[in-house]
Amino acid sequence: MQLTAEHVVVEEGLEQHYEVLKELGDCHTSLGHYDRARQCYEEASVLAPEKAGPAVGLGVVELQVTNLDAADRAFRRALDLDPGCAEAYAGLGMVRQHGGRFQEAFDLYMACLDQDADNLVALLGLFQSSCEMGSFAKVIRYLQVYLDRHPGDTSVLYCLATLRARDGQYREAARAAEEILALEPENAEAAALLEEVRRREPVTEAPRP
Amino acid sequence: MTTPGRTDGPLVTVLVPTFNRRWTLREALGSLAAQTYANFEALVVNDGGVSVRDIVDRLADPRVVLTEREANRGKAASLNEALAHARGTYVAYLDDDDILYPHHLQRLVETLEAQDDCGVAYTDLYKVHYRKGPGGRREVLGKVVSVSRDFDRFFLCCFNHTLHVSVMHRRDLLERTGPYDESLAVLIDWDMTRRLAFFTDFVHVPEVTGEFYAAVKGSDRLSEKGRQDRQAFIATTLAIRAARPPKPWPKMPDLSVVLLPGDAPAAGDLIRNVYAWTFMPYAVYLPMPEAALGRLRIGLPNFVPVPTPPGADPAARLDAALARLEGDHVAVVPPDTAFGIVWAEDALHASLGSDGRTAFALQREGDSPGDPGFVMPADALRRVREASAGAPVVESLRAAGVTVRPPTPEEQSLRFDRALQQAEGLEQEGNWLRAADCYRRMAEAFANTRWMAYRRARALYEAGGRDADALDLCRDLNRRQPTADTLLLEARLHRRAERVRDAVDRLQHARRILVPEKGTPCN
Repeated sequence: MQLTAEHVVVEEGLEQHYEVLKELGDCHTSLGHYDRARQCYEEASVLAPEKAGPAVGLGVVELQVTNLDAADRAFRRALDLDPGCAEAYAGLGMVRQHGGRFQEAFDLYMACLDQDADNLVALLGLFQSSCEMGSFAKVIRYLQVYLDRHPGDTSVLYCLATLRARDGQYREAARAAEEILALEPENAEAAALLEEVRRREPVTEAPRP
Repeated sequence: MTTPGRTDGPLVTVLVPTFNRRWTLREALGSLAAQTYANFEALVVNDGGVSVRDIVDRLADPRVVLTEREANRGKAASLNEALAHARGTYVAYLDDDDILYPHHLQRLVETLEAQDDCGVAYTDLYKVHYRKGPGGRREVLGKVVSVSRDFDRFFLCCFNHTLHVSVMHRRDLLERTGPYDESLAVLIDWDMTRRLAFFTDFVHVPEVTGEFYAAVKGSDRLSEKGRQDRQAFIATTLAIRAARPPKPWPKMPDLSVVLLPGDAPAAGDLIRNVYAWTFMPYAVYLPMPEAALGRLRIGLPNFVPVPTPPGADPAARLDAALARLEGDHVAVVPPDTAFGIVWAEDALHASLGSDGRTAFALQREGDSPGDPGFVMPADALRRVREASAGAPVVESLRAAGVTVRPPTPEEQSLRFDRALQQAEGLEQEGNWLRAADCYRRMAEAFANTRWMAYRRARALYEAGGRDADALDLCRDLNRRQPTADTLLLEARLHRRAERVRDAVDRLQHARRILVPEKGTPCN
């Protein structure tokens, strides 16, 4: 048995106040209380100036109020503080997407997913950007990776079904839509997509190797 | 100090040593003003620092009495000086950079008054991590309950698990413990708390009733500075563990360690190992021929040489020691004994509940041959030896029907801490659900219920998929007494369930605990 002071007195809580403020900021953002959220993030960044979280939070707030320049600055600051900050890449991707710069957005979402393959914002952003640009192959791979780990996530499954349908993979699209309906029988979007791909499949789908 | 409060209970003396912390002393004394228990005297001793007369005078409270010393003689001397003037039935403590919540004194007095056989009570305190901000202001980084343990005499002898500022004890106990040890630079409080444990049980009030402050960098706390010199710190720890206040000890076992080495050099090693590893009170008896004893140079405490005739065998040497030793339990230690934490304490713990028909084996180095070491009640061993005078030790045990075996896990000491290490190991491996189950079982077996409930809730949150159970635990904790940690955890659970408004409510509450001036104080 080992017994040292480290086992007896747990040194936790050095970031507790920061965490409370950051969480509070995130909650205020969810509720649309943007001024309160800004205040929380600013106080959090004073307590932990080395952390990227408050800058990301500020960026999200500025995105919500469509202040794209301020959002851009905040996400860049987050990346300065933490070059591996997945949320900052996703945020910058959203800024670019809002500005109609889909290729840049696409690249930033990819950079985000390189850091965090489970980042839903980037996955959905990637889906939307790729729909705008008409390039699907890379996105499908990322969605599949995500779904391997989160098999019940119907929103991502729907993105996958849609992308496959747009890419002409009607049989796979139908399978994905059926999977959604098995989980959520009332899902109208999935039902409509299934109906559409079934209508197209017998006529248009080429035999696959 | 004008706050009216309860005045019909026993007088409490609050000892307030201070040294050059004017800026926090004012706040510390202010926290006394808000006590709901009014029948106290506060004895402030300025240990040769900058005068605090103006701070005390401004309080205009006859209950607060200041002594200003010219020379800086250390905290222990300050406490002793204050105790010399103390009149209270009970003694409580307040350091010059700490804060007591208004119910602190009342809660402790009520607890002690309700006990028959318990002279010490202690609460939990927030450890406040802070850094110095502009103008010397304390910027709070976190408030955590870093220690919240029910009383465990064995553990207290090993490590201090009570925060001295949270302690209240009967003043008359000091007649038996003696005063604070002024030769100690650090761990003054643990030395006293440990000595108190020889004479009384403690009762734990698992409630946060104050705050002690710890700077993240550049702490000016003497206890922190003292710990930086590791060698000196270890030396002090060992010296405290070796302390033996005057007998009788109604609450503490006394272990007499009888060493049976093959020669004098082996004896030296054994004695040093006993000193380094034993944390329960002990005395070392070395039965050896006088000539061999004369060659030993032992400068360690609690060492009792027992001269034996030349050529005496181990049994005769043990008998010579048994005739001299004063302990109520005896450890018979052959040369191949393995030393380490709880080397003798597990066997001693088992021996406390023994009927004398079992000797509890000490661990040995590898598969060493020879007779095993053991611990058993001293009187029982004397009877065994008297019944088989002159026989080898193991033979006499066998003849008396005494079984030598290791303690079972249930008989071992520090069981809670072993279980805690196991649970923490599971956390580190990411086995959160198993860790949560460990905490549940630990609460059932060892109490420490509030601490274990928080640990379990946190493990369930980390595991995912058991949020409802985690939330039930958090709600219960926060209904009883919310802390910043438990509120933050409950908020995260609400947020994960998309109950954002509930999360905001808990986070704002946590914020008020962390920075009371930002809202209504909640404690």
